[in-house]
Amino acid sequence: MKPGRVIGTVTLSQGAPQFRGARWLLVSPMGKDELSGKNAGLSQASTPVVYDKIGAGVGDEILYVEGAEATQPFPEPIPLDAINVAILDHYAYAPPASS
Amino acid sequence: MLHARIDGWATATIAHPSLKGQKIVFCTPVDENGKDAGMPIAAVDPIGAGRHAKVFITTDGSWTQNTVHDETSPIRNQVIGILDES
Repeated sequence: MKPGRVIGTVTLSQGAPQFRGARWLLVSPMGKDELSGKNAGLSQASTPVVYDKIGAGVGDEILYVEGAEATQPFPEPIPLDAINVAILDHYAYAPPASS
Repeated sequence: MLHARIDGWATATIAHPSLKGQKIVFCTPVDENGKDAGMPIAAVDPIGAGRHAKVFITTDGSWTQNTVHDETSPIRNQVIGILDES
């Protein structure tokens, strides 16, 4: 699972039939600076598009999963790379001062 | 298998059902010299590793599907061991 901040949504006028009714989030991955509050904006990492069925909105911090496991909640095969698995209520991140 | 250091925690009320009741931690991957080696990742932690503990993390989703008893779980990362100090 990777932490990310929702920075937008994506809509498709055409898509694979398995995607009917899907919501898509544009996510800025959160690295050390974003998690520890030093950078409240966008990270340098590239921006994945993440399938969402739990209802995250722009500005929410989420956890998303990339890779084959992303398709695991679906009973049918689905051509999916990334899925939102949690909307964070609270979090803390504090690496040791020496690192 | 990833070698990482526990650097934080998170709570989520709205989440995939297989995350319910699981402790979620943030981990920073580290290399063999203990230097940071990559972006922080989140993992479920059933064994209760402490702050800044060095841990092993599996990225094998099928293992985690077993331990949370949910074959529809998309969760990959799980703390599976705490390293002794060396």
